[in-house]
This record gives sequence, C-alpha cells and structure tokens, in this order.
Amino acid sequence: MGTKEHNAAALAALIEHLSVSFGPRQVLKDLDLTLEKGRLYVLIGRSGAGKTTFLRCFNRLNECFPGCHTQGSLRLNLGNQWVDIYRNDLPVTELRRRVGMVFQTPNTLPASVEKNITLPLKLVLGLGKKEIPEKVEWALRQTHLWEEVRDRLHLPAGILSGGQQQRLCLARVLALDPTLLLLDEPTASLDFRSSQKIEELLLNLKERYTILAVSHSLSQARRLGDKVLVFNEGRRVGTFERSELQQGERFQGLLEEIF
Amino acid sequence: MDEMHRFLDHGFIWFSWLAALLTLGALGLFLGFLGVNGLAALNLGLFFGEASPWQVIMGGQPAGEGIWPACVGTVYLVVLSSLLALPLGIGSGVYLAQYASPAPKRLFGFAVDLLAGIPSILMGLFGFALILFLRKTLFPQANTCLLLSAVCLALLVLPYLILTTQSSLEGLPAPIKVAGLSLGFTPWQNLVHILLPAASRGILSGIILAVGRAAEDTAVILLTGVVANAGTPQSLTDKYAALPFHIFYLAAEHRTTGELAQAYGAALILLLLTGTLYAIAYWLHATLVNKWEQKNIMLRR
Repeated sequence: MGTKEHNAAALAALIEHLSVSFGPRQVLKDLDLTLEKGRLYVLIGRSGAGKTTFLRCFNRLNECFPGCHTQGSLRLNLGNQWVDIYRNDLPVTELRRRVGMVFQTPNTLPASVEKNITLPLKLVLGLGKKEIPEKVEWALRQTHLWEEVRDRLHLPAGILSGGQQQRLCLARVLALDPTLLLLDEPTASLDFRSSQKIEELLLNLKERYTILAVSHSLSQARRLGDKVLVFNEGRRVGTFERSELQQGERFQGLLEEIF
Repeated sequence: MDEMHRFLDHGFIWFSWLAALLTLGALGLFLGFLGVNGLAALNLGLFFGEASPWQVIMGGQPAGEGIWPACVGTVYLVVLSSLLALPLGIGSGVYLAQYASPAPKRLFGFAVDLLAGIPSILMGLFGFALILFLRKTLFPQANTCLLLSAVCLALLVLPYLILTTQSSLEGLPAPIKVAGLSLGFTPWQNLVHILLPAASRGILSGIILAVGRAAEDTAVILLTGVVANAGTPQSLTDKYAALPFHIFYLAAEHRTTGELAQAYGAALILLLLTGTLYAIAYWLHATLVNKWEQKNIMLRR
C-alpha cells in the first residue's frame, strides 16, 4: 500500500489500473481511485459512461455477463483484512455477501416478503431457525419497513409498493452484514415520496457502511454525496467534495466544463 | 386512410374473436362427438370384459376383451418415459440456458431442433432397428418390449422438455437472474432456489406437452412392443397393450358395432387418463410452488 500505509485503516478500497471490457468494447479504462470508509460516494455521468460496470467490479458481478474481462487490482478493506478481490483472495460468494448490491428496479424474489430475507440468511450465512426471526426483524427495522409489513410477512413480496420493495431489497442486503453497499440508481423507478424515504435511509446508513451509489439526478447527488465522482466514457473525469457541491453554480459550471 | 385503419383494427378484433370461438367450438364438437359415442360404452365390462374386476386387477384373470390392460400399459409407458425424459430434458435445458458457451450451444440447439422434427414413425423404426442390432450382437434374446417403447417415447418427447426449460430460464428477467448471485448464492443455490422455481410454470407446460405426447403416440409403440390383447405387463421386457393402439386396432378391424363402441369408450378413457395426468402435474407444481413461497407464520408471535 506504500505511502497510504499509515491511514490504511481509514480506507475502504484501493483501486489501481482497473479496466473492464466486454468482448471488444472497453467500458472502464485504467481507473485509479481511493475510497474512504463510512462515506457516501455518488457516481454520476451519462448513460454508457461505465458507472454500473464500475459498481459491479466491487462484487465481481460483471463476470455474470458474457465476454467480460477485468484487469488491474481492486483491494477492499474488510475490517480485519485487506483482500485483492481479483487475485481470488476471497471466494466470490463471500465477497458478494460482504459487498451488498441494490439494483435499479427492485428485484424481489417471487416469494413471500419474509422469504426474501430468510432464504439468503439460510443459504449464505447458514443461520438456523432460532436466529433468523430476530435478524429479519432487525433488517426490516433498519429500512423502516417493519411497521409496514409486520402483518404481511407471509404475503408475496410483489404486493408491496415499488418503494417498499426497494427497501426490502436493501433490508435483504443489510441482513447479510455487508461492509460496502452498492446502489445502482436505487430511486430511478420510484415516485418522489418513496425516493425521499430511500434518501433518508441512505443518509442514516452511511455512518455504518461505505456506500457507492449511482444517481441519475444532479440534485440527488448534491443532497446525498460526501463526494461525487463524475464518469465519462469509461474514465473518472472529475471529483467533487461535499463543500464544492453546496456551491451550486460552481458545481454546475464544473459539470458543464466536463461534458 | 383513417377509415382504412379503423376497418383493419375492427376487422382484426373480430377475426381474433372468431378464431378463439372456432377453436372452442371445434373442441366442444369433438368432446360432444366422443361423449355421445363413448358414454354408452362406459361400464365395467368395457374395462374387464366378462371377468371379475378384482381378479383382473390382482392379476388372477385375463381381462378378455376389456381395456384394463391397455390402461395399465399406457400409464406404465407414460410414467417410464417421463422418468427417463424429465431429468435428461430439464438437465439439457438448464445446460443450454445457463452453462453452454456459444458454439456448443448452437450445435446442441440444432440437434434438439432436428430431434423435434423427427416423425414418430421414424423413432419407432429406430427402436425396431436397435433391437435387431442388439439381437445380432450383444443380446440374442432382446425383443421389442415395454422398456424399448418407453426409451423411444422418451427420445420423442425430449425436445419439448429441453426447449421449454431453456426458453423459460432464458426468458427470466435479468434482475431475477442475478438477484441470488449478487447476494452470495452459489450458482447451484441460485439455480435450485431461484431460477428453477421462477421458471417452473414454463417447464410445467413442457412436461404437459411431453406427457400428452407420450400417452397418445401410436406410431412409436406400433414397432417397438405393443400388441393387441397382451394382458397386463408383468415386467419391463414384456409385451403390453396400450390405449391408443387399442383404439386404432378396434377402429380399423372392428367386426361388430359393439367393438366400435368399445373404441369410442376407450378413446374417452384415454382422454380422461391424460386429463388426470395433467391434473397431477398441476397439483405437484402448485404444491412445490407453495412450498417454495413458504407461507409460514414463523414470525407471527
């Protein structure tokens, strides 16, 4: 880790020369980045800029799509150890448990509300019947969903509203004790009120987790981000600190300069 | 131009209605025809001839002219060929949808299409030639039998299972496909706990097509071991009777109107039998889905 050794404990991830291509198309180009712990990073950029691909680097989900080739190194701080995830320091299933992801459209399983959380707990954490109910309630409380669904746990998740489903997906991820959260435009498919709830949640959660969120809206980036990373054509072309974000005109100006 | 569009719009709606009604009408006509001709023949004698039902069922007496052995033969055929074809078909479908890389996938896909296009009489000939080959080489005693028919039928229905499994897995929305993986499921857990249950409706329709086909096919069994009046088969290597062949035989060779009526009766029974098999498939599916969705009340305190 070289010069960064002294503050390594405060870091969440170190990325060096990260490139991703799908077949002949290079989507991410030679990316270097350092992420600090307990911060909320918002990624913005035009569609096709490589934001989603960048998120999927962290849980190696790109590999589930055909023709993917990843180069470079991505090291994660998992509390008691640093792992280089592309050197197979960690089984991919364990990596994906530690790096939770919430998608653009809520991808609840076509099963009961409860089973959406219990199934991963059983299969991934290997929890038994005793520990599961407690964990389910905890996770649902974290996403302020418990009061809304406590009487409907056995009903299909599909009957919940879009916002509730998205919070269920978040609860499902939190139940697995992640260290890093990846959110791929989590409010893109939601109405104003539901988006607001999710944003409030994220602001609470960022104290305990490092969060990387792709956003489609500049104002959301400004509301949420400790840092905003701007992507264009597979490269990071700009980084804004929180203080810079609040000076609306300057942020706007910089963005216009970049695009 | 607007008039033209409106005319086409209305015209097509009418045509769709008409097409649906014609289909229903044809089905109704068919069922009515079968009912009128077959219901009269439905009695214990149709199944057991002159013999006592209990004696026939327990294997003590031959059923004479009764169709009981043919019913048993058809059920055996369907169950056996399903046991052979289901694991192979669903397994191949999963391979094509999940694991095959592009080149083998194209080749395998072409092979499946080819298999789907083979007329059943050719499948029968294949079975017959296989027995001739076995007799000349490894097993001089080999003969056409229940097992051979089941193998050939399994081969015949395999493409339905492969194609429906493949297409229903591939048709799942991308977010569902990666949901489990993103949570840390192994590919196997993802397949068993998420993908297959989510695709089960489509797979079920493949199973129903396959069962129906195995129950009704006459050409394959004609050359591979079915015999009129064979009695209830006692082992896999026995000759056997089967309903579709029995119907064909009676319809072609009946000497009295009574025998023709028996053919109608047998046709009605075949229809009921496949209907029952479908019902069982639906019930199994519903039970599995229910179990998967697990409507338990673990958390209700």
